[in-house]
Order: sequence, then structure tokens, then C-alpha cells
Amino acid sequence: MSMTAILAKILLLGVVDSLGVWTAVGLVVAQRWGMLAGLVVGLLALNYAVLSKRAYPLRYLLPGLIPFCLMVVYPITVNMGVAFTNFGTGHRLTKEQVIDHFESRFYLPEDGERFTFQAFRDHEEDFIFLLVSKETGTTYLSAEGILEIVTLEDSRFVFDRGEIVQINGYYRLSRGELFRLLGQLQEIRLERNEEVIRLTSIREFRVYQQRYHYDREQGTLTDLKTGIIYTPIAGAFTSADGERLLPGFVVRIGFQNFLEIINNPHIARPFFRVFRWTFAFAALSVATTFVLGFSLAVLLNDPHLKMRHLYRTILIIPYAIPGFISILIWAGMLNVDFGIVNRILQDLFGTTIPWLHDPLWAKVAVVLVNLWLGFPYMMIICLGALQSIPSELYEAARIDGAGSWQRFRKVTFPLLLISIAPLLVGSFAFNFNNFNVIYLLTGGGPPIPGAMTPAGATDILISYTYNLAFGGVGAQYGFAAAISLIIFAIIATISAINFRFTRRLERISEGL
Amino acid sequence: MYSRHTLLGKIFRHLLVWAMIAFTIFPVIWIFSASINPGNTLFGLRFIPQVVTWNHYLDLFTNPLHPFGLWLWNSIKVSGTASLVTVFLTALGAYALSRFRFRGRRTGLLALLLIQMFPQMLAMVAIYLLLLSIGRYIPWLGLNTHAGLIMVYLGGAMGFNTWLMKSYFDTIPHDLEESAMVDGATHFQAFLRIILPLARPILAVIFILTFIGTYSDFLLPSILLTGTRQFTFAVGLRLFIQGQYATRWGIFAAACMLGAIPIMVVFLSLQRFLISGLTRGGVKG
Amino acid sequence: MKKFIALLLGFTMLFGLTGAVWASTPGVLTIWADATRAPILAGLSEAFTAEFGIPVEVHEVGFGDIRDRLGIAGPAGEGPDIIIGAHDWIGQLIADGLLEPILFLEDIRDQFVPVAIEAFSSGGRIYGLPYLTEAVGLIYNRDLVLVPPATFTEFIAIASALTDPEKGQFGFLSNIPQPDPYHAFPFISAFGGYVFGLDEEGVLDPRDIGLDNEGAIIGGHLILELITSGLLPVGTDYGAMTGLFNDGMVGMILTGPWAVRDIKAAGINYGIAPLPTIGGQAMRPFVGVHGFMVSAFSANKILAMTFLEEFIATKDTMLALYEADPRNPAFIPALDVVAADPDVVAWAANAAVGTPMPSIPEMGAVWTAWADALLLIVTEEVSPEDALRDAVMRIRAVIGYE
Repeated sequence: MSMTAILAKILLLGVVDSLGVWTAVGLVVAQRWGMLAGLVVGLLALNYAVLSKRAYPLRYLLPGLIPFCLMVVYPITVNMGVAFTNFGTGHRLTKEQVIDHFESRFYLPEDGERFTFQAFRDHEEDFIFLLVSKETGTTYLSAEGILEIVTLEDSRFVFDRGEIVQINGYYRLSRGELFRLLGQLQEIRLERNEEVIRLTSIREFRVYQQRYHYDREQGTLTDLKTGIIYTPIAGAFTSADGERLLPGFVVRIGFQNFLEIINNPHIARPFFRVFRWTFAFAALSVATTFVLGFSLAVLLNDPHLKMRHLYRTILIIPYAIPGFISILIWAGMLNVDFGIVNRILQDLFGTTIPWLHDPLWAKVAVVLVNLWLGFPYMMIICLGALQSIPSELYEAARIDGAGSWQRFRKVTFPLLLISIAPLLVGSFAFNFNNFNVIYLLTGGGPPIPGAMTPAGATDILISYTYNLAFGGVGAQYGFAAAISLIIFAIIATISAINFRFTRRLERISEGL
Repeated sequence: MYSRHTLLGKIFRHLLVWAMIAFTIFPVIWIFSASINPGNTLFGLRFIPQVVTWNHYLDLFTNPLHPFGLWLWNSIKVSGTASLVTVFLTALGAYALSRFRFRGRRTGLLALLLIQMFPQMLAMVAIYLLLLSIGRYIPWLGLNTHAGLIMVYLGGAMGFNTWLMKSYFDTIPHDLEESAMVDGATHFQAFLRIILPLARPILAVIFILTFIGTYSDFLLPSILLTGTRQFTFAVGLRLFIQGQYATRWGIFAAACMLGAIPIMVVFLSLQRFLISGLTRGGVKG
Repeated sequence: MKKFIALLLGFTMLFGLTGAVWASTPGVLTIWADATRAPILAGLSEAFTAEFGIPVEVHEVGFGDIRDRLGIAGPAGEGPDIIIGAHDWIGQLIADGLLEPILFLEDIRDQFVPVAIEAFSSGGRIYGLPYLTEAVGLIYNRDLVLVPPATFTEFIAIASALTDPEKGQFGFLSNIPQPDPYHAFPFISAFGGYVFGLDEEGVLDPRDIGLDNEGAIIGGHLILELITSGLLPVGTDYGAMTGLFNDGMVGMILTGPWAVRDIKAAGINYGIAPLPTIGGQAMRPFVGVHGFMVSAFSANKILAMTFLEEFIATKDTMLALYEADPRNPAFIPALDVVAADPDVVAWAANAAVGTPMPSIPEMGAVWTAWADALLLIVTEEVSPEDALRDAVMRIRAVIGYE
């Protein structure tokens, strides 16, 4: 490597490092320890990769690995954390936020005395207020935040056409000014004896009384109105007789979400049926899209075929339209009474098919629609992979006297399979979690008679998870995260097993 | 692999392709039909509506509340950048995995793929909060920025793509780079000057896949982007059909038709790269 | 390769500072509204900004996304000040501590339709400024139906006479078999079916579910008969119903005011009628109320309240909202102005016999189980008795009161 290249490298690394250190200081100040740890690990890896000879391959991998860790690995770890909490409806906020919520909740509207007001401001952006009680008619002036009773004869007041326009060098604020200053004014607290008075709207002040008080030493919340003491139990402030105050807060609950999955018979029972169909759906999807995509790729890779560029372009259209729209279109086309598909069947064969109402036909429909959605992907990767097959091999096969079918069978197909086998495994995993096509086409339906869980005939594990976590009482993120980990474990295991086969394939290819 | 066809063979092949095109294009005709239907319905009874209108198309470009042109441009920007960077990152990674032997290579490759299999839908909240935190320190990379969205897309750059690319690199003979390195080139130079040009077909494939994948994605951007002017095409499109009983199918279908054009353009212009690289030019029949 | 890098740089240069204000920021009001309301509000807000100098940012967020996104964005300090949504969200939003009660409404509550205030009330406080009420009714095509039916018998007679599948003409369509329990509720309620009963304090009691009582089962049979008698095709969904009606091929449809805009645009000579009575009993639809809510995590609570009090709760604004999207105003001074409109009268008559859609979080479990039961009934897989009974058992299992 040239001297300038080395210098450039060190300079660049220095810049990146100093930027990193600068950010790290910021993170220390903000006490974001998790982010700090991530940053330090990332910086160390970067330096190691650039400076160490042994880590040479890492230099190529790191640019891709950094966003991968940040945007894929990190959210998964967060998800793992969430799986052990009660995060969800009723338990969304942190404990601090909940305490703040209760402490800023007041007695209103009971006995809150109200005041109309006028606001005045001096040149130093300091405010005073003239308050008139709506109940007693008493006039108050705020001085240093404390109310004193005044009369309109007060010598400090300057009148103009019957209105007070100035007090002690403070000028009266117009309505427009008030509007713009509401953000500042909402923080103002005035005091009268023990009471706190604050702004409620542009028209009035009110006496506020705090209803709940949080005792930091005891960690309990007291309702000052009733005297009931609430202690934090399982993510909510709970009274001695079991009343739980809403909102609750997020707490760790150990393996509770996982135990719920195992112990609740309603959830566990349909699991294997759903799993079987998920597996079948994913396998069928991969098989059908691959066969079709591959056949088309072979057909359209043929240099003798006229208009093949145009054909290819037209055939990727299903891929060019966002999935959620084409699935909705398909749902309309497969409508049992009004859909075009049944209308054509009716005209041609005098019969119709209950596409989305019959469990079996609904399954056929999702596989068919998924084929429509997915074959262009397979076609494109096969087109790419076909280019990697060396022409010398064909020449050799031809010299050996192989016909075109034999060349296809002995050369094209096996070699192509080697390069795209991992993609097939990936595609299987993708379809295993293909929420969109199920949710938008059949909604998991048709439902199964007598089922005690929201698991329809075409529900796959991921849509079943969705139904369980978000189709019940509010949204249960912690529970969803727990199931997602289980699904992840399943699909990772299946894939790892699949890879034992592709590994064998790869050995062959490396021998080439 | 291919021989010249007899006339019958030719006709057969074209018929086969035409049958597939019919299957492909059928739903698209419905979308088009809805886009020129003055009623707001997706399920008219006729292919060609009684009254044909182009108002939905016009509305897309004239209604300032739906800056459709801007949405398209945003999408092209986001997908274009994400795809280019993805291709580069993937090529780098795949090169290392194909050419170097190091500890953890096999495991790493497997891990890359397995980790990608996590149902991303459920990681959304985490991604949202992560971008929120990042945005507090680096505003241009936070929520509601295209750079932030691209960064999330780059997270998925490795994984499946790396496998595809690595398999392709594996088939490129090593002696080409070796001779270059004998001539004094570094590994990196050999990668840039020898491998990348040879791998053009697969680079094109990954570009196309990433472009389309990000272009039609609505899940991520609908969570990360909130300003109407920041929307990508797919997110904007979803707005039209989100009201429970207030779907605007007409304008939605029109947007859908126009939105497919950039993908077509990208695919058409990259097709020429889908032909083998330098060493194996002519597969003469 | 050089070209590649040039291209890469080119793309990178395209990014300027793309961030914009979209979260609650002191001094700027941020509103989240769906596609229908956002344009109207954006227009109205300009007048507000011009008068008071306060910038208002209106963001279009999908109606179905507003509630869930507020739950994530609000506590993280990135949410809006004001959202527009439906009253049945408040159960979940209050349980999550996301809403601020709107105090000034207590002083002017008699300016609103009582059911609207009731719908937005919880625990003695009002959490939303209601602006419209809606309930399903009977929309009919005046060219096909001269006099709308007053009783269910008349209704069946008219529907049967008009139905001619050969011609593609239908007497009556509704998206009930989609399945859409919301549209099916009038059938269930006519004979005494209900979702949740009330406890002694008049609060909805999730332990008391009335979806499988005798009345609900009769209603289930009624729906089934519509299907089996050939009046209502089992494939009817919202798109088919409105699409065919707008083509002039349908006599009557059962749906709400949201469909009217397209019907008008299609030039159909339509009328709106109260739902027919069955055996002297009213078919009672769900009443939905939409309104403005203030986020508990707003940085501008007083400003947001003031905006609502001074600018939204006014006749002019409410009328402007009505003009842009004609659904019955919940604000009485505005309602009085449009009270002569026969559509308004008919919608009000339907809402008057209706019951507010339950807003407690347990409703989520009801919708899913009930929809499944409805589909099993209309596809004739399971009898209404069994389907509804199973559904209620399932709801109990999910919400934990077995």
C-alpha cells in the first residue's frame, strides 16, 4: 500500500474515532448506557478491523454488519426484553410517567374556585395578573407569584376608557399576545394561602388541589381525597382491597407471558394445527413460486426468443405493485358473488367456487395469490443465477454429446440450485411469516366452528399471534414479543436443518 | 444451453409466455379500470366503465394535500440510495465470505441468514424508539427523515443478498484476481476492478430486488415517517384507503398505476446487465 | 466503478435537512387527523394562524393508525397535541394515560347533543370535544323505492319485488356478511340483544354480555333468512354494496352517512329513512361519535384547550366541518342551522333510537369473536344459536371472566 493510502486511512480513522468519542461524551452526559456500550463496541471493532492484519476480512464485512447489528440485531434484543414485561394496554408508561400522571391529576371540578383574569407584562418578560374571583367577586393582584387583595381604586392602576391598561409599568397583554404566550403562562403557579392557582384556559385561572401524593420514601401513592394508600403491585398502584388504578406501568414479569402460552389451553390447543398449515403454506409457496419463476427464467433467458425483454418486464408487474394493494384487488376478484373469477367460472362451467368461505378453497386462494405475488422474485434471482453458469460447461457437455434436455438436467438445474438454495430457505422463512397475504386476503378465515381462540382455517403462526395480542383486550406487546420469540426459534431450527443440505451442495460448488 | 427452435417450438414458447402474461396482467386491468371509473369503486361490474374519467390522475398532481409527485420522488430517492448502498455493502461482505477463510465464517453466514428470519413486524416498536433516540443526537438520521429510513433498510442489506452474491462470486475463478495481484494490485483493487465488473448480473439482480422491495414497502415508512411531505409512495397510497368506510379507490388505483412506472423503468434499464459478464459472453446455440 | 460512486454521491447530495415539525412542540399546535378531516382542518387552521399568529401543523395519519401511534409516540415525547378520533377509542386511551380531560366542556355541555357528551365521558370527566354523531340507517334509491318501508314486513316485500339477479338488480344490500358486526347490530338489538349490560352505577359491565340472549339469536336468524331467501348475496361487502348502489342497481342499503358523498357524486336520486321496525320494536344501531381529543403528553395543553374552546366549539367551524363531510353535527347551534335538511333529520332519527358503541377496551375481544360468529352464520356452517353462544364463551375466555 502506498504511503498516501496509509496516511489517508489513518486520517479517516482518526476523524471517525474523534466523532465517536465526541458522541460518547454526549451519551455519558445523557446517561444512555445501552447506546454507549453499542457505540464503544462498534468503534473498537472498527479500529480492530482497520489496524489489525488478522482482521482483514472484517474490513469488508463491517460496513454491512454495522447497520445490520443496529437495525436488525438490536431490535431483536429489545424484543427479547419486552417479552419479559407486561408492556401493553394499561401498562404503556414508565413508573415515573404514571406517578407524574397521578400527581398532576387534581380535584377539579369539585370546589375549584375560578377567576377571570387580565395579564400584564413588563420589558423584562415578567408577568403580573389581575384576578377576579367568579364566586366572590374579590379582586386579586399577583406579586411575586403571591395573591394580594386589591381594589380598583389602587393607585398603581392606570386606566384608559374604563379599562386598566397598565400597572406599575406592566402593560396589559392583548388577546393575540396572550395566545402566543400560553406556552409560558401554562407553567405559572400563583399562591393564595396554601392553595395553588393556575391557568386552565385563555379565559380563566382555577384553584387546583393535588389529589394524589407520591411518597418517595415509602414508594406509595396516597389519594388525599379518600385517604386510601396505593402500593405498586404487578405494574399498577393497588389499594389494600385490590383496587388497581389506571394507568398502570411497565414492569418485568419474568416468564409469565411464556407460561400463559403454555398453560392457557385455549391458546395452546390450536397451535399445532396452525403450525402444520403454516409449514404447508410456506413449503407450497416456495415450491410453486420457484417452479414457475425458474421455468420462466429459463424460457426468457433464451437469446433466440424474440421480445424477451418486453416479456420479462411485463412479468415483473406483480412485483412492482405494492403487495397490500394487489392482495386487496385479489380479494375483490375472488368474491364469491361479485368477483370476476366466479363470474367467469359461472359463464364457462356453470358453477362457482366459495373461494374465501370454504376452508380448503381459502387455502387454495392464499397459495394462488401468493404465487402471483411471488413468482417474479424467483424469476429475477434465477435470471441472475443463470448467468453464473460458465458457458464452458455447456460446451463440454455438448462435446460429450448431451442433448439440450440433458444439458438442462445435468448442468443448468444442479448448478442453479447450488447458488439459490439458500434463497429458497430464506423464501421459506419469509413465507412462514408472511402476514400480509393472510391478513389482507382471508383475515385468517374462514373461522372454525366452535373454536375458542381466534385461529381460522388459513391463520398462520404470525397472524395467529397478531389475533391473540391485538384482537383481544387492547394491545399486548409483551405477549406478542414472547410468541414472536417462540416463532423465531421454530423457524430458525427448521432453517438450520435445511442448511445441512445446502451445505453439502456448497461443498460441491467449491470443488468446481 | 439453448438451441434454435423449430417453428412449432417457437409458437409453443410464445403461447406459454402469453398465458403467464394473462395471469399476471389480469388484476392489473382491474386496477386500471378502477382508476378511470368516476365512481369510487374497485369492483365495478364492467371492465370499461360506462363513463371514463381521467380526473383521478389529474387530482393526484393538482391536489396540494396529496403531493403525489413528491411522494414518488421521495420513493425513488430512498429506494435508489438504499439499493445502491446495499449492492455495495453486500458485494464487500460477500467478497470476504467468498475469498477469505477465517474463523467463524460458516457460523457467521448462517447467523446472517437466521437472524433475518425474525418476524420484523414485531420489531417495529423497537425500531421506532431506536430512531427516536438517534434523532435526539443526530437529527438528520432520526424519525421522519429519509436518511433514517434508508439506514433501517441497510440493516437488511446483508442476509439473503449476501448469500446470493457469495454463490455468484464462488463461481468466478480465482486465477483472475491472483494474476492481478501478482501485478501489484491489492485485494481491494482486485475486488473493484476484476470481480465487480464480472459480477454485474448479480449486482443488477440485487439492485432490482432491493429497489422493488423498499419501493413497495409500507410497513416501515408508515411507522417512521409522519410528515405528509416526507411520505414515500406506498405510505401515501395507503392514506387513500385507510378510513374504515372512506376508501378512495379511484385515486388509489390511479396512484397505483403511475407508481408502477419507476419500477418498470428501473427493470428495463438494468436488463442489459442480466447478460453474463466478460468471460462468458457468447452462449452460442 | 467511478460512475457508481458518482451516482452514490449524487443520491446522497439529494438529502438536505428533511426533518419537519411533526411532534408536540411548544408554541406550535400539532394535530393528527385522517385523510377526510386533515384537509378541512388544514384550511380552518390557516384562519386560526392568521388571527392569533400560532402555527398549526395538521398531519394526515390513517384513521386506524392514530390511536396506536399515539400510544407509542406520546409517551416518547413525539406525539401530537390534538387528535381526531372516535369515542370508542377512549377506553383504551384512558387506560393508557394518554388523554387529558377537557374541562371547559363541563360548562358548555348543554350545547352538545347529550349522547355525544355521554359517549366521550368516563369517570365523570369528558375526554373529547364531540363534533359529529353517526349511526347506520336505510339509504334508498328514490327511482326504485317510492316510499321507504316503515315495518320489516314492508321492507321484505319491497326488497323481494326489486331483487332480480339476472338483471344484476338487488332490492336490499348490506355488508353484514363481510362479516361486519357493526352493520349487523340493528338486527341483534331489535329483539333485545346487546353487547355489554350496565352495572348499578350505570357503567358498562364486561361480565354481562348479551350477544347470545334470546333477542340476539332471533336477530341471527333474521340475518340468516335474508341470505337463505336469496335477498342478500353472501358475498356482499362494503365495496360491492356501495359500488352497485352507485350504479343504480340497488333499492336499499343499510349503512351510514359516510357513504353519502360518493352516492351524491354518482348522481343517484337517494333518500334516507329510519330503519324499519320489527314487531313494533326499533332496530337500534350503534351510535358513533367523532371528536377532538387532547394528548396527555402535549407540550401545549392550555393552547390546545384554548384552540378547541375558542375556535372549534363554534358554529362557524362546526358548520365548515359539516359542509366538507356531511354528517350530523354534535354541536347544537350548528345542528340547528342544518336541521331542515331531510338527510339530517333521518340520520338523527336513527341515532335517536341507537345506543353508543361501547368504548371499554374489552370491546376488542368482542369484535373479533362476533365477526367470526357472523361469518359462520351467513355461510350456514353453524346455527345462530351455537355460533353466538360460542362467540360469547370465547369473549369471556379472552377477557378473563369465564
